[in-house]
Amino acid sequence: MQTLAKEPRADRPARRGATSFATTFRQLAESVGPEDAPGLRRTLAGLIAAAALQGFGLAAIAPLFTAAAVGEIRRALLWFAAMAALMAAASALRWWAQGFDFDGRMVRATWRLRGRLGAKLREIPLEQLQDKRAGELNAMVLGNVDENLLYALTVLNLVFTAIVTPLCAALGIVLFDWRLGLLLLLIFPAIVPLYRWRRPALGRGKRILGAAHQEASADVLEYTQGLAILRAAGRAGEKAERLSQTFRKLEAIQVFGHRKGAKPNIIVASVVELGLVAVLGVGVWLVVQGELHPAALGAVFVIVVRLSEPLSTFILYTAMLEVMEAALERIGALLAIRPLSQRAPEVMPRTHDIRFDDVSFSYAQAEVPTIRAFSAVLPERSLTALVGPSGCGKTTLTRLLLRHFDPQQGAVTIGGVDLRQIPAERLNSLVSVVFQDVYLFNDTVEANIRMGRPEATEAEVRAAAQAAQCLGFIERLPQGWQTPLGEIGGRLSGGERQRISIARALLKDAPIVVLDEPTAALDTESELAVQRALDALVARKTVIVIAHRLSTIVGADQILVIEDGALAQAGRHEALLAAGGRYARMWAAQGAVKHWTVAR
Amino acid sequence: MATTGQSVPQGHAAIPPQNDDPRTDAATRRRRASPWRILKPVQGQIRFAMAISAGSALFGLAVMVLLMGVVQRLLEAPDQVPWPWFAGVALCTVGAYVARLGAFNQAHYAAFRLERILREGLAGRLARVSLGYVETQGAGALAKVIHDDVKALHVFVADSTPLYARAYVTPVVTLVLLVALDLRLALVALAVLALGYGILTRAQRRRRDMVRAYNAAREKVSAAVVEYVQAMPVVRNFDSGKMSFGRYQAALDGYLAVMLDWYRAAGFPARFSWLVLSPMPTLTLVLGAGLWLTALGDLAPARWLGVLLLCTGMAESMMPMMMLRHMIEKVALSVARIEEVMAAPELDAGQGGAPAADPAAPALSFEGVTFSYGPDLAPALHEISFEVARGSVTALVGPSGAGKTTVARLIPRFWDVDAGRIALGGTDIRAMSTDALLQQVAFVFQESFLFADTIAANIRIGRPGASEAEVIAAARAAQAHGFIEALPQGYDTPVGERGVFLSGGQRQRIAIARALLQNRPILVLDEATAFADPENEAELIAALSALMRGRTVIMVAHRLATIRDADQILVFDRGRIAERGRHAELVAQGGLYARLWNNYETAQNWSLGGARSPAAVPNEEVA
Repeated sequence: MQTLAKEPRADRPARRGATSFATTFRQLAESVGPEDAPGLRRTLAGLIAAAALQGFGLAAIAPLFTAAAVGEIRRALLWFAAMAALMAAASALRWWAQGFDFDGRMVRATWRLRGRLGAKLREIPLEQLQDKRAGELNAMVLGNVDENLLYALTVLNLVFTAIVTPLCAALGIVLFDWRLGLLLLLIFPAIVPLYRWRRPALGRGKRILGAAHQEASADVLEYTQGLAILRAAGRAGEKAERLSQTFRKLEAIQVFGHRKGAKPNIIVASVVELGLVAVLGVGVWLVVQGELHPAALGAVFVIVVRLSEPLSTFILYTAMLEVMEAALERIGALLAIRPLSQRAPEVMPRTHDIRFDDVSFSYAQAEVPTIRAFSAVLPERSLTALVGPSGCGKTTLTRLLLRHFDPQQGAVTIGGVDLRQIPAERLNSLVSVVFQDVYLFNDTVEANIRMGRPEATEAEVRAAAQAAQCLGFIERLPQGWQTPLGEIGGRLSGGERQRISIARALLKDAPIVVLDEPTAALDTESELAVQRALDALVARKTVIVIAHRLSTIVGADQILVIEDGALAQAGRHEALLAAGGRYARMWAAQGAVKHWTVAR
Repeated sequence: MATTGQSVPQGHAAIPPQNDDPRTDAATRRRRASPWRILKPVQGQIRFAMAISAGSALFGLAVMVLLMGVVQRLLEAPDQVPWPWFAGVALCTVGAYVARLGAFNQAHYAAFRLERILREGLAGRLARVSLGYVETQGAGALAKVIHDDVKALHVFVADSTPLYARAYVTPVVTLVLLVALDLRLALVALAVLALGYGILTRAQRRRRDMVRAYNAAREKVSAAVVEYVQAMPVVRNFDSGKMSFGRYQAALDGYLAVMLDWYRAAGFPARFSWLVLSPMPTLTLVLGAGLWLTALGDLAPARWLGVLLLCTGMAESMMPMMMLRHMIEKVALSVARIEEVMAAPELDAGQGGAPAADPAAPALSFEGVTFSYGPDLAPALHEISFEVARGSVTALVGPSGAGKTTVARLIPRFWDVDAGRIALGGTDIRAMSTDALLQQVAFVFQESFLFADTIAANIRIGRPGASEAEVIAAARAAQAHGFIEALPQGYDTPVGERGVFLSGGQRQRIAIARALLQNRPILVLDEATAFADPENEAELIAALSALMRGRTVIMVAHRLATIRDADQILVFDRGRIAERGRHAELVAQGGLYARLWNNYETAQNWSLGGARSPAAVPNEEVA
């Protein structure tokens, strides 16, 4: 809890505490969903009312104690009854309001919210999803929902107790003795401007410290990652010395930041605490003037001591509130992302030729377009290879076909139908992808293959595995088809993992197949089996393959040579070699490499 | 007006501590780490901070007593300002908050100092442990220990230690004062406190199991989310939505069940004790009891007032302890990880210098080497023996997991052998000092690592004293000069964090230039061309050729074509050398190597969709 309090997002601009309250509540209500929003509203009202009742109850101590001290026991009893009733009512209200937490309604609300966020992730444009690191999203969906909603009521309750209770107590004291009450009313709100004065500085300090931590963290990672090289070069000690400097610098910044904060801390504490002493001083003066009973003053002491406790931690709570606000904002931002638009009318293509029509595309943050006026036709059941230097846009073209994003200009069509007219689910059913990085899910081998087509029969799953050269190693696994890949995934070789992903694609049997360097980074033995599996996959399909090793695509129906996002050359292998352009040069370079040996 | 205590925000009694760290708590299971032990380097300052904090608590209590005195004086003489008492109140108030902030400051400075001391210690330790330890732990995980785990201590060291002092001093002194003021009212306050704590203890009864279930459920959700998000392209392409989302949902359901169970079991006692321990019930009961005693004429108003001022202090200063307990449990995980790294065995470096010039001895020899990665694991290498002649090229080949890379990594002592010995020029590498060993051998790894520095500095790591001309000569030989010159700042171009601004092939050539500059007689290559992009491959190979010239080379190779002319090929299979010889002999033998070679050739000649009939393609050829 306190870590949170101490490290609100450094990147957040300072905001006015008062205006944000309504916003925070709105976001909170949005997060718990329409099912629980009214309940939440009642709960918060209950907590505020409880805080207010508690304040009035505390104020009742003044007349009670005074009456008792002057011997008016009957009147004192009446006040005591009033006070006890107020306190009991406050407790009962709070008990009831906290039911929102304790009856599990809040937990259920976060559970629902996470389900919603998860469903949302499936439909937002992949471009936006892949912008953020998986870890960050993980923290957002998991960490934030938890820490922010589950603690929300606790934190809000504390904030109410720190603001509403003193205010109401002071109001109550006004009724008892207006001079003391007014003084208290002056002191307690004084904390708000003080807090505002401190807040930008707090934010600044946190940013500087955050930057220093980031730098230190990067240096540490570089040190541990480079340790082998440093040791091999005999320079680990020296680099450690440099790292030491980083640590010393970090300490200096920490100390400097803390020193800078220490003085304002003293000022805030002085104003509040000496202010309260001054109020008591005025009280003493009133007593000496004969305008206030000493016992009444004593009662005011009790009340003030009670109130200064939550006040002194007020700033801490608001910091927590700020963290909560930041997280709610991010949840709201995620929920607000729109999925790629669907054009009417929905059309399902009947043939599966692919056409890129004058397509241009740039990524959101990029300055130059990644794809420039690219046009190509990929006939049904043809095999098309995309070649070109890394970063030339090959992968972007396949991602356009998968509709991870839409082109800014031009169109991609399947069977003459613009992708934007094909419903997302149907489009996915038309295309299978085999990625370079294989992703296996934490489930059984069978489930991992079957996800290609859940309704497939056992025989079909088996046939796909056989065609993908998986049968042999699957049957050797300890639990065969039922082996959970979460535990064993690391023990499968790259080739075996790739073959499972090919079996998945085979089972899916989509008319279009995209291969994104599926044989890169495999050892020779696996490569052979993967190659056989791929041959089974591409038969009778419209195929797009991205290949680095040109020898693997000499049989392609057409080779598209891409340079800087534009089509440089197109044709069959022989024709391109004869043309003597970029492709011919790449081919010659790779040929030379092939014949290199370690001989001197 | 001094407050009775600056408490930590009081968390939700019913919610267990969060352990966001996906790393398991195996470390704690191994050894119950006490966070207090790690304070040792700054013990004095922390004790000082705690003493000041205790002083602040006493000042705070003194304020209450003095306030009581003010009222008592006024009751006795309402027309006289009780100056001494009032001045005492003002003074003690100032004393309390100055001491409180002072303790806070001291604890923070101590915490900052401790962070630096621990980080320096950890970094220094890593420079002396075996590289195998670094590799098995993972560079990222170790960096996390040095940075994040040390940082995690801050909450405990800086924020909790002063609160600890307060949490012990305040209740005890308060109780003494209460008893001195009025035993009956003290008992009332104590009874409420006892009731609250009794119930709270009940709430905590199944806590350990609950925390475990909670952390497990959380971890499951975390894993499901990571899987779901990372695999989103696959999820969308293959999973019509049921499977991966189902697992995510199942993890969420599990988490919900644990939380609801938690509320059912601990919800009521937690909620009830929270209510009882809040100041209101104590205050109300002490007021009621006091009123009754006053009615009986058995209680002086000033004493009653004193009790009222003090009675809530006990619960209030102890409540933070509940929070602290959670915090310390969390910190204990970090402490355990820090201590684990600090306890990592250091490599016992030999004292010997470079191997004696024994011209008869082979450049490198493995003599009956057996090695396994762990005591309960099957040996990765079984009695491996071979010799590498000076100036020769030895290739290590075999299926993945056969032990090739292990051999390469034993040479720089990533680990030490279990049996047998490895000798350089006839000298056991364990008898050589780390420096002497490393001056003999240069390494080029699968993935080249660059530091966030200039290109020149990255090459110069090979030999710090090298002149600019030497650096350029090395870069030229490594085929890197061309692209370096083309960069905006040439050799002074910063490569970015871990070389992100350069392509894989470019990074690799810089690493080769580094090795060239080192100019060491023995060269170990671990799949040095594995991740090069094809466009750069030709240059990379020219660079490697330059590097290998005139050196004794041991290389791990997958591309068998490249090693056709090696002087010696060692074929590994399940930790043993299955075959050895030259390419032609091995192919003729028709054994494992012949099979690997055959596969390799077939794979090389494969072309996708070779069996298909070509389709007509309309695209025009573009110039």
